[in-house]
Amino acid sequence: MQLRINMKDVVSGLFLVLLALIGLWLNQDHSLGSARRMGPGYMPMLVFWIQVGLGTAVTLIGLFSGPDPLEKWTGLDAASLALGVAAGFITWAIATNLGPFFSQTYNGVGLGVLVGMLVVSWSAGWRKIGLICASMAVFALLLEKFGFFAALTGIILVASMAERTHTVRGVAGMLVFLLALCWWVFIYELDIRVNLWPQF
Amino acid sequence: MELLIDNLAHGFSVALSLKNLSFALLGALIGTAIGVLPGIGPVATISLLLPITFGQEATTAIIMLAGIYYGAQYGGSTTAILLNLPGEVSSVVTTLEGYKMARNGRAGAALATAALGSFFAGSVATILVAASGPLLTQIALSFGPADYFSLMLLGLVIACVLAQGSILKAIGMVVVGVALGLVGTDVQTGQQRFTFGIPELSDGLGFAAIAMGMFGIAEIILNLERPEAREVLKTEVGKLWLTKDEFKRATPSVLRGTLLGSALGILPGGGASLAAFGAYMMERKMSRGRHMFGQGAIEGVAGPEAANNAAAQTSFIPLLTLGIPSNAVMALMVGALIIQGIQPGPRMVEAQPDLFWGLIASMWIGNVMLLVINLPMIGMWVKLLQVPYKYLYPAILVFCSIGVYSINNNVFDVYTTILFAVFGYMCSKLKMEPAPLLIGFVLGPMMEEHLRRAMLLSRGDWIVFLERPISATMLGIAAFALALMLLPNMRKSKDAAMAG
Repeated sequence: MQLRINMKDVVSGLFLVLLALIGLWLNQDHSLGSARRMGPGYMPMLVFWIQVGLGTAVTLIGLFSGPDPLEKWTGLDAASLALGVAAGFITWAIATNLGPFFSQTYNGVGLGVLVGMLVVSWSAGWRKIGLICASMAVFALLLEKFGFFAALTGIILVASMAERTHTVRGVAGMLVFLLALCWWVFIYELDIRVNLWPQF
Repeated sequence: MELLIDNLAHGFSVALSLKNLSFALLGALIGTAIGVLPGIGPVATISLLLPITFGQEATTAIIMLAGIYYGAQYGGSTTAILLNLPGEVSSVVTTLEGYKMARNGRAGAALATAALGSFFAGSVATILVAASGPLLTQIALSFGPADYFSLMLLGLVIACVLAQGSILKAIGMVVVGVALGLVGTDVQTGQQRFTFGIPELSDGLGFAAIAMGMFGIAEIILNLERPEAREVLKTEVGKLWLTKDEFKRATPSVLRGTLLGSALGILPGGGASLAAFGAYMMERKMSRGRHMFGQGAIEGVAGPEAANNAAAQTSFIPLLTLGIPSNAVMALMVGALIIQGIQPGPRMVEAQPDLFWGLIASMWIGNVMLLVINLPMIGMWVKLLQVPYKYLYPAILVFCSIGVYSINNNVFDVYTTILFAVFGYMCSKLKMEPAPLLIGFVLGPMMEEHLRRAMLLSRGDWIVFLERPISATMLGIAAFALALMLLPNMRKSKDAAMAG
């Protein structure tokens, strides 16, 4: 048989195998029990072994079912992805020492996600995904301490940078409209428990 | 029969309360809107609104969510006919003949056919749900744990077989979904599994976070990467009515579509899009106007539109009677019910008569509303199409973020959503379907429970799954379906059917 690599399938298959192996490794902590009295580790064991099998099959078939290459990455795409992931984890590690705000309720993780995603969005190929994820991190970081309106303003401003054709006036109008709409839906109608204004 | 009428009367008394009526209308309106708008579908919308349903009564919540699902079927056909742009996957085939009709100046007739056909199919399917519901429930009550396990396995297999693209990858996604469902506290021993010591994970991963990340946020990113191409038809919509001849040609197609759609909707993994494809193929082969296909044949609009709406209604049958979701939207409905503290299953008909009969009655009422919403108000929906996506996506993003936060008032869920958005984006680049994952995630924990119970009863003997006739039949069908799809010929014709 001729080797015609379907890169999408090969990567998917390897990804399935990798996930399953991590799962099997983590599953060592759980007792298996017997088929009659299954312990907490029995079902995970079954699931992950099936996944290993499926992943292997997908990979092997993918070697011959192509060609279907992945989308081309530029050098910048690869570099900004690697840098972004590194920056994210380093920020996360440092963040817990940056004061009480970052050591509580996942704010350190949030800062890591934000910094990492901003670095990733440096390359044109990752701009949309980077900025959309960064905008959600901004929202999560601001919401509890700085309130509903600040968090909404943050997410809308960062997210609108993901689309080049936005104008300042358009974004301003959309911002006012969405702030009013969200206040009406979530605060006035649904009354979710969240601070509206900054807390100090 | 009398009992059925009594029950339906009870259902109507529930559904006609002012609150339920207004939420059915709200659901139908939202559904039509997202059906019209390409780039946001019912799965994303329902997962978006899931947290909002938290504070409502279960019946009201489900009535609204159901309205969104079948509303989207109506709305999707509008864009398909006027713009050659399917608002929903289920209306892809409507573009083939519908848009041609619009170019021939028969846009009004096509829209009227779609709406009337959908209404007829919806009404028939609603009666079917009402009649078969209690019947199937009776059968389901005799199911043991082994039967349940096999039934769910069958559901998962068929969901994969009918998914687009590679079956093996679809099964892989189901398994990943089941694996994600393992996260949290083990129900029987109380041990924490795969929680990494994070307290938020002891209740398991958030259903809404996964659904919104993979269907809501990932969709936004993918849509932003695609350049926007939208062009509203310049020609007039024209009179929204059919000529006598068109009416004569459309009627048998609507009947056939209704039948096929109702049958395909019940199948696990089936649902609206499969039904529409099936009906289109059937019309192209069987209808009297088959020689006119490709030039705007009304049969090609009537059949698929009736079928997708019928299937949207009957896909509630497995959910309401067995507690098994047959597609991603139904998986979300299970999520909504569980949030409300209701375990979907055969006992629901008796334990929650308001919910069961109220929902059925509201489906019919919703179809009447949709007819009104769609036909006279068509101009309004066409206007909605002129809102550019760059103003829509921030709104979707903001609603997702607030919604997912408000479930537990915890930012942890927002970060989980980001993680699954990235995962969903990756899956789409690798051509891995996200829908099977969601079904696996919902069914996984139930399957584990039934598996453990069945094995305890059988004293650890696996043969129990083959000894019980119901269970053995389910497994047999599952094996048959899988084997069928592994044959290259069958796979090719499935791909051809899926591609229209």
